[in-house]
Amino acid sequence: MKASILLLILVITLFAREDRVDIKAQILEKIFSNIHVDSGVTLWCDNKHLLEELKKSSYLIITDECAVATIIVVESRESIENDENCKNKPIFVLNYELLKNIPESFGAFFWKKGRPNIVIIESRALFQNIRLSKELESYKEEKVW
Amino acid sequence: MVKKKEFGIFFLLFMLALFFVYIYTDITKAKEDIFERIQNHQIEQISYILQNIEKDILETTEIVTVDDMFSMFKKEHVRAEYEHIISLMLTSNVKYVYILYKDEQSRFRFLLDASKTDKANFNQKFDVNSPEYDTVFTTKKPQVIQQSDIENLYLTYLYPIISNGNVIAIFNIDITTNIQKIILESIKPLETFFVVLIIFVLLLMVMTIMQIFHYFVTRKKIFTDQLTNTFNRNYLEETLPLLNLSNYSLAMLDLDKFKIINDTYGHKTGDYVLSQASKIFKESIRDSDILVRYGGEEFLLLINNRNKAKSALDTCERLRKNISKERFIYDDHEIRVSVSIGLHMYPYLEKNIQEAIKIADKMLYVAKKGGRDRVECYDEKESAEKLSSSGDISFVKEAIDEERVICHYQPIYDYKHSRVFKYEALVRIVTKEGLIVPPFAFLPQIKETNMHYKLTQRILLTVFETFKNNSKLVSINMNFSDLINSDIEETIIKNLQDNPHLASRVTFEILESDEINDIELFKQKINLIHSLKAKVSIDDFGSGYSNFKTIIDIEANFLKIDGSLVKNIDVSAKDFKVVKSIIHFAKQSNMQTIAEHVHSRDIYEKLLLLDIDFMQGYYISEPKETLVGEEELFQAL
Repeated sequence: MKASILLLILVITLFAREDRVDIKAQILEKIFSNIHVDSGVTLWCDNKHLLEELKKSSYLIITDECAVATIIVVESRESIENDENCKNKPIFVLNYELLKNIPESFGAFFWKKGRPNIVIIESRALFQNIRLSKELESYKEEKVW
Repeated sequence: MVKKKEFGIFFLLFMLALFFVYIYTDITKAKEDIFERIQNHQIEQISYILQNIEKDILETTEIVTVDDMFSMFKKEHVRAEYEHIISLMLTSNVKYVYILYKDEQSRFRFLLDASKTDKANFNQKFDVNSPEYDTVFTTKKPQVIQQSDIENLYLTYLYPIISNGNVIAIFNIDITTNIQKIILESIKPLETFFVVLIIFVLLLMVMTIMQIFHYFVTRKKIFTDQLTNTFNRNYLEETLPLLNLSNYSLAMLDLDKFKIINDTYGHKTGDYVLSQASKIFKESIRDSDILVRYGGEEFLLLINNRNKAKSALDTCERLRKNISKERFIYDDHEIRVSVSIGLHMYPYLEKNIQEAIKIADKMLYVAKKGGRDRVECYDEKESAEKLSSSGDISFVKEAIDEERVICHYQPIYDYKHSRVFKYEALVRIVTKEGLIVPPFAFLPQIKETNMHYKLTQRILLTVFETFKNNSKLVSINMNFSDLINSDIEETIIKNLQDNPHLASRVTFEILESDEINDIELFKQKINLIHSLKAKVSIDDFGSGYSNFKTIIDIEANFLKIDGSLVKNIDVSAKDFKVVKSIIHFAKQSNMQTIAEHVHSRDIYEKLLLLDIDFMQGYYISEPKETLVGEEELFQAL
């Protein structure tokens, strides 16, 4: 499975552009297929385009309501700051800086110098009872640098 | 030929297309070459700078291991200092410059990032996916990664920082595609121009191919007879100039009595028989032979006899036999057909193909005359002299000049008194070798020429000379154009006025079937004959479109019934009735009747029943050079 994520990233790197929402959705689908929570993964995203794209996934459960979600995918901190429905939920961010700024965030997917990057903060994931497959092993970090 | 031009254009376009493809490939190669040179130049420049920076880092700070590097760049001010130095490398082409190291888990992490945008943090993990990153560590040599235009990147240059023989970190330089884009933009119009040119030339090639294809399709239609699927005369005209006649024998083929099939069974049946017969023709010849539908049921066959001249005759015989043994069945009718063939073995000996066709056609006529379903071959000198030379005016002229025009006389029999009533003078030409040439071999060629009048004059003089000193009666054939010719008129008047006892014994047989376009003039000339005491006979009555009033008006003495009606009265009740009616009409109009073509006893006896006045034909006597007496009649019995 690890190989398949790498392969996907390699292929995507060859043909992708950062602004392609469908590519982002594909990588996120792959990441979340290796993340498990007790109540099952139900995703919500603050980016409506990305949310719609994620809905095309046959694997993921996507919701339009933050309150129903078990994990929320955040692109902008402001979108969840004043939303009570989104409080106390594990957060997966789409920007490395947000990983620093939002303590509830346990992982990030972002583009760094034209290359797709994945970071999972292991301690935060464990704290939120999030289990990770071995495939994500190489993306684990102890802290946010 | 037209198509040579088209093929030429196609070839030219093909060469042009090849040339343009070559130019286009050359431009593409040149582009790649320019890219490579720029790349090498950029890398070379960058390498010098990186070398200096590497030296500075390693020498001034005495760094030996990766831990030393980590410790050094952990200090923010050191990082800031080096970021500042390295950032001097940033240009419009150099987008990112940073230093990476490999941690214990073999993951790459940022030690320093001098980039102005998308800056990474110290020790931040960097997911790389190119094997060249590991290759730098193993080979300890710089590596170049060709990017696929991700985030405007063109290539990545990896430069190792080596201490004590080990790679402790790598410089990572990301170069944008700016220059390449500029070059591409500059070359693009040229490339587009050539692409358009190639497309244009290819389109022209396709159009030329379509035109050539269209030509072959229409060519087939133009040159093929739809009914028989053989070539038609257009093909003959197109091909003849290209044919080497010395490789061919020429045959004219004609289906016998085809008109009867059409008249009896209808044209659809006729068409069916024609198409099936031509199928048999094609099956009986070789691919190298050329079969042309020459018109109606007549075909022209060019037999390729490069190897054996005799094979032409074999081919014709094979073809004749194949047709005659075939039974054509259409609408439950079984129809048998035969073919007559006139063959010219060596058509190239003639002046032109038309002459050769004429001769083959004459041989076809001979085949028909000889009973049909046969091949008549023309390949001997004798035939050549007999027929070929008789085909032109000079042959007749020469015969007149050399006194070789003679007359044969066929008796017209008065059966009621068992005597020869009179003789019909029939022209013949004696060849230099003494062969007798019948009129069908030369009369058609001189029709309506001055030679025809000269020949008629010669016949008149010959007949007048023969009969002026005896008491026998004679008939001379003339047509309307002879009658109105002033020279002929003068000859007739002079001779008959000088020999009044001859005039009353001469009968002028005027062809009824001849085109008499001026009735008044015709009557005038007949009156002249009457005034000379000579007699008038209407020849071949029943074969043309008679104006009965004119015939009654001219007060002809005799009416000769056309042979085509007489020859079948023993088997055709219809013809019998027609002949009977004509005899009745003649008697009512005070004309005596003569039946010609009496070639059998049956016809003779039938005519006896009809009370005809006179008879003429091979059954009674063939034409002879001398005036036969009663004792020589009926010798063919």
